[in-house]
Amino acid sequence: MSLQHITPELFEKLVGLAALELTEEERAYLFEEMNHQLASVESLRQIQIPEGTTPSLYGLHPEGISPRADEWKAFTKPKQIVALAPESEDGMIAVPDVKGAK
Amino acid sequence: MSLTSLSAFEVARKVKAGELKAVDVAEAALAQIRAVDGLPGSLDGGAVSADEEKKVHAFIQVTEKMALEQAEKVDQAVARGEDAGLLAGVPISIKDIFCVEGTTTTAASRMLSNFRPPYTATPVRRLIDQGALILGKVNLDEFTFGSSNESSAYQPATNNPWNTDHVPGGSSGGSAASVAAEEVALSLGTDTGGSIRQPAAFCGVVGLKPTYGRVSRLGLIAFSSSLDCPGPLSRNTRDAALMLQAMAGVDPKDSTSSTRAVDDYLSTLGQDVKGLRIGLSPDYDAVYYPNFETGELHKEAIQKEVHETLYRSAELLAKAGAEIVENVPMPNTAYGIPAYFVISRVEAASNLHRFDGVKYGYRTESAVSNLSELYRLTRAEGFGPQVKLRILMGMYLSAAGHDADYYTHAQKVRALIRQDFVRAFEPDGDHRLDALLTPTTATTSFKRKAVFGNSLLMQYSDQMTVSSNHAGVPALTIPAGLDEAGLPIGIQLIGNDFREDLILRIGHAFEQVSRDEAWRKVRPQVLAGEVKA
Amino acid sequence: MKDYEVVIGLETHIQLNTRTKIFCSCKADSWEDEANTNICPVCSGLPGTLPVLNAEAVQKGALLAAAMHAEVNPLSRFDRKNYFYPDLPKGYQITQFDEPIGKGGYLDLKMADGTKKRVRIHKLHLEEDAGKTKIEHGTRLVDFNRCGVPLIEMVTEPDLRSGEEAAQYLIQLRQLLRWIGVSEADMERGHLRCDANVSIRERGSQVLNTKTEIKNVNSIDSVRQAIGEEAKRQIELVESGGKVESYTLDWDADRNKLSLMRSKETEADYRYFRDPDLLPVKLSREEIAGIMAALPELPLERQARFVTEYGLSEYDADILTNERSLSDYYEAAVGAYTGEPKAVANWMMNDLSRMLNDLGKTADQLVLGPKALAEIIQMIDDGKINAATGKSLLKKVEESGSRPAEIVEKEGLGLIADSDALRAQIEAVLADAPDEVANFKAGKESLLGWFVGQVMRRTGGKADPKRTRELLLEMLRK
Ligand SMILES: [Zn+2]
Repeated sequence: MSLQHITPELFEKLVGLAALELTEEERAYLFEEMNHQLASVESLRQIQIPEGTTPSLYGLHPEGISPRADEWKAFTKPKQIVALAPESEDGMIAVPDVKGAK
Repeated sequence: MSLTSLSAFEVARKVKAGELKAVDVAEAALAQIRAVDGLPGSLDGGAVSADEEKKVHAFIQVTEKMALEQAEKVDQAVARGEDAGLLAGVPISIKDIFCVEGTTTTAASRMLSNFRPPYTATPVRRLIDQGALILGKVNLDEFTFGSSNESSAYQPATNNPWNTDHVPGGSSGGSAASVAAEEVALSLGTDTGGSIRQPAAFCGVVGLKPTYGRVSRLGLIAFSSSLDCPGPLSRNTRDAALMLQAMAGVDPKDSTSSTRAVDDYLSTLGQDVKGLRIGLSPDYDAVYYPNFETGELHKEAIQKEVHETLYRSAELLAKAGAEIVENVPMPNTAYGIPAYFVISRVEAASNLHRFDGVKYGYRTESAVSNLSELYRLTRAEGFGPQVKLRILMGMYLSAAGHDADYYTHAQKVRALIRQDFVRAFEPDGDHRLDALLTPTTATTSFKRKAVFGNSLLMQYSDQMTVSSNHAGVPALTIPAGLDEAGLPIGIQLIGNDFREDLILRIGHAFEQVSRDEAWRKVRPQVLAGEVKA
Repeated sequence: MKDYEVVIGLETHIQLNTRTKIFCSCKADSWEDEANTNICPVCSGLPGTLPVLNAEAVQKGALLAAAMHAEVNPLSRFDRKNYFYPDLPKGYQITQFDEPIGKGGYLDLKMADGTKKRVRIHKLHLEEDAGKTKIEHGTRLVDFNRCGVPLIEMVTEPDLRSGEEAAQYLIQLRQLLRWIGVSEADMERGHLRCDANVSIRERGSQVLNTKTEIKNVNSIDSVRQAIGEEAKRQIELVESGGKVESYTLDWDADRNKLSLMRSKETEADYRYFRDPDLLPVKLSREEIAGIMAALPELPLERQARFVTEYGLSEYDADILTNERSLSDYYEAAVGAYTGEPKAVANWMMNDLSRMLNDLGKTADQLVLGPKALAEIIQMIDDGKINAATGKSLLKKVEESGSRPAEIVEKEGLGLIADSDALRAQIEAVLADAPDEVANFKAGKESLLGWFVGQVMRRTGGKADPKRTRELLLEMLRK
């Protein structure tokens, strides 16, 4: 059985997709651990899944709630939400511009 | 018996009867925290003194003022002759993954080290409404990602009260330790793959993962949304039943919360177990690890004392009148961890997208020239390595372009795992079980640093617990003995959907039948020799 | 130069006009609100929060799907589309990927030459809107008020062939959205937003060439112009030996210019997967039947019926079905009127529509109801009032809310049809004009009109002209 491996190139792509930056030490550690975990994941391929098995999202079928009525209930503390932002200006949340970003 | 050793049930009874002041309970809990907990976990908390190494370090934040105010309210309610609630005056700790207004909610991560949520999680709200006293927020693996508490950004991480050189388990390690060390009577934890049960077993306490949807997830900072379950940790099954009673039930703010009526867990708790069918499965006798090179699974037997304790417990339950059904096949148990690697990582990576330094939490302090840099530096500095590992794995597993869709495939395996339980519990099936009895963990608590860093081994410590998360069924761990090193051993009772009543009842029966066993007299190391008023 | 045709597909985002947002109880409309005041922990993506679906968004989405002749899905699901952007607080958008609320469908456009053109719908799904951002002195400022407003994303097949056709699609889609009441469809307020995919090919060819995507074509004029510009650019490029690349372009409506946003389709990987926080959306057979039953007669159907049932011209029927409340008004007025439906149409297309314009109202907002209009026209037909009085009554009824007959009575606006009263007035006129009477009698009968005019002047216009004429003839010939 041939195992899937995460190549260094793919790994770098994932780091970008995840919006992360890694130190060399982290990079080595994470790269190795991911390939170990992948070995575990690949063991799923050994399972004969019977025809017609539907993917299960929760295990059981949740008897959850029905969609809600279209009724307005204002949240009373929107200012507290804005106050959580590291930087804000006139009630707007402030971030640097995209410009220059790849 | 000291105040802090009282069960939640007793505390509430005495407070409501006017025999005990909630304020005194709060003060006693605060005193116990001061005595055994040591330094609270903090960011960049480095090496500590030898004395501190012997402390529990369950708490990141002690909410003294909140607890005392709540206690006063309870005392006033009692004085006015009002019903002060199911948990009147009961001291509780909250795993720091639940949003509680008036606290910092850190998820044990630098990313949320300054996050003050403007709302309170539904289960916490319900505990408070029932008269509970919130003593503080307890430590966990960062964002619940781990099974030892060591990955917390808040150091020192929690130690095992039975032996402070050992881990308390995780991710609800602070919860389990705070209950075991009698700092609180109850703790609110979360269980995604075993995060309530594994630390409960390691710390010699009771832990219950309810049926998925039985307790609202609103306010729980999500790890894996299709698996996450809030649940109680306590020192006995009656207290777990009491706490579940207070929290369970539909929440209009959680679409996946169940509309099914909540059972009366306390009224059936004391019933006997005569004729109940309790199963044992050979598929829980071993752990299956993959070989890195070949991917082949190889089998490793569980710790001998754990195995012995399991079978001895079955005998005790048989003595109490239960019928033991052996050789129940649970053939997909071995695939629980690999399927979990996929499902939990894909969901976690998405759930962690929101932590980007824009609207709350940590933002990099470096000067950044553009938005992308802000994202990357914030996330690089704000997340620890175990979090990054989960994000990257989730990114890989959900990325387009694989020849097979990992997530959907894992969900099919999940359906097969579910099928094992459906067959075992089927009322007219071969086994007709009321509960499956298994070890909670393959081994007792390991030493600090023994496993940490090896993400595969760490994950496999959840092998016995993860299947019930996949299946959505409830599972209870109760203490059942000590190993030769004096570390607690837990056994697990897994029930059918929404049959928390049955597994609690069986657990309670086990407590009764094992009441006089010698191991029950042994106290955790941090409490040994303790003399209290 | 070769003969090229332009191939266009439109991607529209339609804000549903529910009272609240799709996954939380904040109100949906924030037009008047200060930034970040209409937000809650859910729509601002705070950790631990969970979405709860608004039933009305499902109803309106399904109604739109039905109106687009799409198949309404009895079981649809929500998925997460993962990407980083500051206007997306959760870092993923909740949308529908492979099991949307509607499948297939089409919109039949009526073209200027009277033909119909069918535009097929590729995809129609529910999703949440993102927030708004703006740049100020190099900083991006974010407002979450719009986060979580329910949207229908609807994508056409590449069936449109010119900027004008694309404009027609938007105009008629906008009409339909308002007609069935699912969206205010005000493009200036962003209720209806549009991106256009444009490619060219030699006429007769069936291939789909590399397309460019134009973002932010958010007005009818922009669609016309931007597509025209882009088609021209592509043709010139290909004619000069160049090759169209899959650019993403931005339309600057202020300067009528296209600019390059991204030089290549970035390899976005949204990693769609089912959102575990939301259960599947179920619509029972009965609920779907209820939605189909609630679907009103659509504009084109009603237009055709007006032609056959009321004998209107295509043109009149088109105008009267431009907007649903106007056509409802028309039918109600016709129902209350005993004369020719065409007469009601004339009144509505002239005086009434002028009044609607002046007042800035839609027909259903008028105080002057369809019955009152019918009554006014009826009174003119019956000779109770003259046409000028009828026109002035429109305004009086609208302002006072009184019935037309009451106003006529109270203000004495009715025509003098009473023979005795009219005779007295005529006698006075004749007495004052002995020369004209003599001339008339001598055979100059063309003076009749002059006499009518005199009577009108004397009665302040209130003499019934028909009766006046009859009596004049009678009295002059005596
Ligand atoms: Zn909201």
